[in-house]
Amino acid sequence: MRNVRVSFPSWSDTAFRIALLAMVALPLALVSALLIWVRTPYYENRGYVNDQPVQFDHRHHVADDGIDCLYCHGDALRSKNAGVPSTELCMGCHAQVWPASIALEPVRRSYYSGVPLHWNRVHKLADYVYFDHSIHVNKGVGCSSCHGRVDQMALDYQVAPLTMGWCLECHRDPEPRIRPFDEITSMTWKPRAHDDPEGRALVERYDVQKKTNCTTCHR
Amino acid sequence: MSADEDGRVSNDNGLVRLRRPSPEVASPWRSLDERDQTATYLASIGDDLGEATEPPSATSRRTFLQFLGASMSLAGLDGCARKQPAQILPYSITPDGAIPGVPREYATAMTLDGFATGLLVRSSEGRPTKVEGNPDHPTSRGKTTLLQQASLLQLYDPDRMRGVENRGRPSSWEALLALLCKDRSDAGAGLRILAEPTASPTFQRLLGLVASRHPGSKNTFWSAMPVLANTLAGAQLALGKRLQPRLDFARADVILTLDADFLTSMEDQLVYSRDWAARRRVASPGQAMSRLYTVECALSPTGTMADHRLARRSAEILQVARAIAAQLPTIAPELRGAVELDPAAARFAAAVARDLARCAPGSSLVVVGERQPPWLHALGWAMNAALGNLRTTAQAEDPVLLEGSQDLPALVHDMQAGAVDTLIILDGNPVYSTPPELGLEAAMDQVRERIYCADYHNETASRCTWVAPRAHYLESWGDGRAYDGTVSIVQPLIEALHGARPPIELLGALAGLSAPHAHALVRATHPASDWDAALQRGVVNDTTSPLVAITFGGAAAIAAALGTTIAPSPHVLELDFYLSPTVHDGRFTNNPWLLEQPEPTTKLTWENAALVAPALAKRLGLANEDVVELVCNGRALSVPVFISPGQADDAVALWLGYGRSGAESIASKRGVNAASLRTRSTLAFAPDARLRKLGLAQSLASMQTQRTMLGRPIALASTKAGYEANPGFTSEHKGEVASLMKPVPFEGLQWAMSIDLGLCTGCSSCMVACQAENNIPVVGKAEVEKNREMHWLRIDTYFTGEVDNPGVIHQPMMCQHCETAPCEYVCPVNATVHSPDGLNEMVYNRCVGTRFCSNNCPYKVRRFNWFDWNKRVAANQGSYQLAHNPEVTVRERGVMEKCSYCVQRIRGAEITAQIAHRMLAPGEVRSACQQACPTGAIEFGSLSHVESTMVKWRQEPRSYAVLNDQGTRPRTMYLARIDNPNPELA
Repeated sequence: MRNVRVSFPSWSDTAFRIALLAMVALPLALVSALLIWVRTPYYENRGYVNDQPVQFDHRHHVADDGIDCLYCHGDALRSKNAGVPSTELCMGCHAQVWPASIALEPVRRSYYSGVPLHWNRVHKLADYVYFDHSIHVNKGVGCSSCHGRVDQMALDYQVAPLTMGWCLECHRDPEPRIRPFDEITSMTWKPRAHDDPEGRALVERYDVQKKTNCTTCHR
Repeated sequence: MSADEDGRVSNDNGLVRLRRPSPEVASPWRSLDERDQTATYLASIGDDLGEATEPPSATSRRTFLQFLGASMSLAGLDGCARKQPAQILPYSITPDGAIPGVPREYATAMTLDGFATGLLVRSSEGRPTKVEGNPDHPTSRGKTTLLQQASLLQLYDPDRMRGVENRGRPSSWEALLALLCKDRSDAGAGLRILAEPTASPTFQRLLGLVASRHPGSKNTFWSAMPVLANTLAGAQLALGKRLQPRLDFARADVILTLDADFLTSMEDQLVYSRDWAARRRVASPGQAMSRLYTVECALSPTGTMADHRLARRSAEILQVARAIAAQLPTIAPELRGAVELDPAAARFAAAVARDLARCAPGSSLVVVGERQPPWLHALGWAMNAALGNLRTTAQAEDPVLLEGSQDLPALVHDMQAGAVDTLIILDGNPVYSTPPELGLEAAMDQVRERIYCADYHNETASRCTWVAPRAHYLESWGDGRAYDGTVSIVQPLIEALHGARPPIELLGALAGLSAPHAHALVRATHPASDWDAALQRGVVNDTTSPLVAITFGGAAAIAAALGTTIAPSPHVLELDFYLSPTVHDGRFTNNPWLLEQPEPTTKLTWENAALVAPALAKRLGLANEDVVELVCNGRALSVPVFISPGQADDAVALWLGYGRSGAESIASKRGVNAASLRTRSTLAFAPDARLRKLGLAQSLASMQTQRTMLGRPIALASTKAGYEANPGFTSEHKGEVASLMKPVPFEGLQWAMSIDLGLCTGCSSCMVACQAENNIPVVGKAEVEKNREMHWLRIDTYFTGEVDNPGVIHQPMMCQHCETAPCEYVCPVNATVHSPDGLNEMVYNRCVGTRFCSNNCPYKVRRFNWFDWNKRVAANQGSYQLAHNPEVTVRERGVMEKCSYCVQRIRGAEITAQIAHRMLAPGEVRSACQQACPTGAIEFGSLSHVESTMVKWRQEPRSYAVLNDQGTRPRTMYLARIDNPNPELA
């Protein structure tokens, strides 16, 4: 029997060390990459502008015309859905204002045919989340707290992450973000400091409850 | 597992698991296997979720891992393209008052067997999603039966007929209505209408119009089980007039039912249930309660609630009734005379007669079921007259149902003779449900035009030249009358899904109207009434039938009729036909909720079986699932046997409604068609059947034998006397148990439930209500056999005593929302946690499916999604999904689920109250089961509402917590069942 001597080349120690390092680093990198990925605005759908059937300009309606949010989205006061206004509501003004505008052609078609406009959804929560607009608005959570400066948007896009962690920030500590009712639709209202007594007073006055148990949102 | 002579059960470690039950506490069994501790039973212990039987069969672990790897690599591709956004479609013109996201309720009515019951139906964005009773309707009073609950799913059945067809080719309503509208040259002599029993005023008005346009035409009403036929004939015999009884169970101290399942099968069952329950609730020891005697053949929910029950063949019940009547001191002299009975029945009859006679005049009640012949109904009136009940508990009113101008045999005779050229069948399924000896199916060939308006391409549709889809009550206008005569308008909630129209439009065309529309037809029937108010309240004011003054005067006629009857010979096998408690006469056999609904006493699902008494099974060497050949009236049927404790010896019971051979995909080939063994004279029961064991076996899916409580005292019961003597008999089953866990803070609203076992009849309305409210999928027969059904709420049935005549306790069992919940400690991902208001929350999006929680749950109320039932089982797919409640998550594969105390209702009510700046009022939140329960056995609410019924109930001495010794501190408390037996029969 011949005695065979196996000899490794000199770089094999380095390769082994790199391999060991990679076995630790690669999984860590993968996990970190995923954790970073789910926090990117791309993943959260922030800042992305959907196409819409009508080139509706919030800037114009909110900032220029000064129309209150609740004029079109009044269901936010009484329903879980804030609601997209019916074509009928659009035509309430646009039968007189810009009645022949090319941009409003889809609206007129919908009004006369009865076929609803097919808007593309901008704010989408997971199916197992039961968010309710009415309770938030009635407790002093304003529109811009979640939807951002809609008065500065052409087509609407998502500003907030809409993640559970983001929801809980406010559910755990509502004081800075609760507004007086007459400021609900204000686009310029700014959150207060955490220890501002006005926030505490409002939380007390509106009986704002720091609900963080699961069935508050998941049923 | 072993049990020593003391009845102490110890586990394999030798640790004593429980004390011997105290004498008042019944030691119950749930199946004959459990009672006899057979090997099958012992092997099945602990198999609650089906895991021990076999692993999931569809995908092996290896394949699963392969898929896992593949899906992970594919998951990367998902990030490459932005998902198509979902769409929002606002109304173009908002309907008056509609707010998207806020469900609305509409009053309407459902007609079954001719009688309408008022309902409130929830509409979520235009989809009907839940049926509730209408509190303003006199025969609903806010409650529902399981059939009404499940009728919602009928609407969305994908198998429904899709359009008008003429001889198999698509046609149109216009063509059909034009055909019907045509003038006839024979004054209608060849025109016949065959319809379901109905009391609809519009139907009646249009029939009148048809009769004046076609004077020669005739109409016939037919249903698989006669509705009130024997009852009205009995009243004719006893009272001299065809009258329907109006019974008052709330004023009866002693009730005797003769083959009358008044709690779940009679026309006015919701009213009877509530009235009966009012006299059965024992709020404190010593409170008076009514006593119920039942004589019946197969065990019915009424029989399970009886204080004394005598099981006899249906044909023998007349003899027992005669014996009881003869011993009443005040009975008409013609009805006296000795009746020969076996000793047990004679003792029963004597005791019942004495008990009835002891009652103050007018405070007892004898009820006779429709299955029995007219003379027994007349005898019932005789007894009620003798007991002075005719002005109190047993009164009468004019019949509500329309009477046909021809009966079915005469119609078939005319058809055979070629005298009929046009037969219009409005609903029902007569080819399936009529006795074969009538020859209806063959006679139909002699009719040129056979026009059928119905839900499905069923047995009758295949024999007809024209078929037209019938509109569901939620998609058409109509009207109907309740059992007490009250008129309700049937109001649609949704546009007809498949172009279906109601039968009254066909009648309208027959009456010569060129474009009949149901709304106009109904409106024209009620010109004087306040239409809007009638729609809103669900009833038309002042339409209730008045009571008719009655006097009994038929003693001689009854005696004469009874003289012609012959007592059945002993040991002759009787075959009994019953409407299925779940699928009724076959109209609901394509309804997955009802097919998977366990029948109240046997817990059988998906199929029917030949129910036999344990004694008969022993004599013939039969075991469950043995296939036997039943021969009756010259026809044979092979059917598996199921042994049913409490059934009369020498009787085989079969449910109608199964064995369908129509084109409905779910109904077809489930069970056997019992109707094929019937004849005209034996619609309810047939003497002289024969039974032969075939040596084959066929599996049956019973939910009864699956779970066990290992002999521990779970369902407690006592007697009225026992409760008085020892009010604290449940005291060792409640109260503090030493615990290492932190005490639960009691602040604000604290949700809890109280259930009175004395009132639970097992009717199962709550189960279907829960299924509808909480989007619970069905799993199919094969998976039920593996214990994988998903019901959040089950009704456990415990038997006590002798197998031949057992006591029965029904116990609704769902998540007990333990304050120190064992499931919560073992969940590795915090998917089940406790809320500050005392709910045990289940968080689907966290659950990873370890099933530890179910393992650790002493109540075995957690159900696991072994598969994505909503994608895997056809019965949950397609248009069925339109019935889903949008407020509840549709669960996917691999997550646990369980009763949530209807948390969506709690949170919804809290939001409403908070917005209105007020506190939640007691009774504002009702769980789905509570809302449906006909006897009001379930109370739900907050412990902080100390004045509420729910809290008062749990302060009664007989309240207890199931498995209190486990220290789980369950929030659901039960009230032990109290029976009121007659000491003479003890």
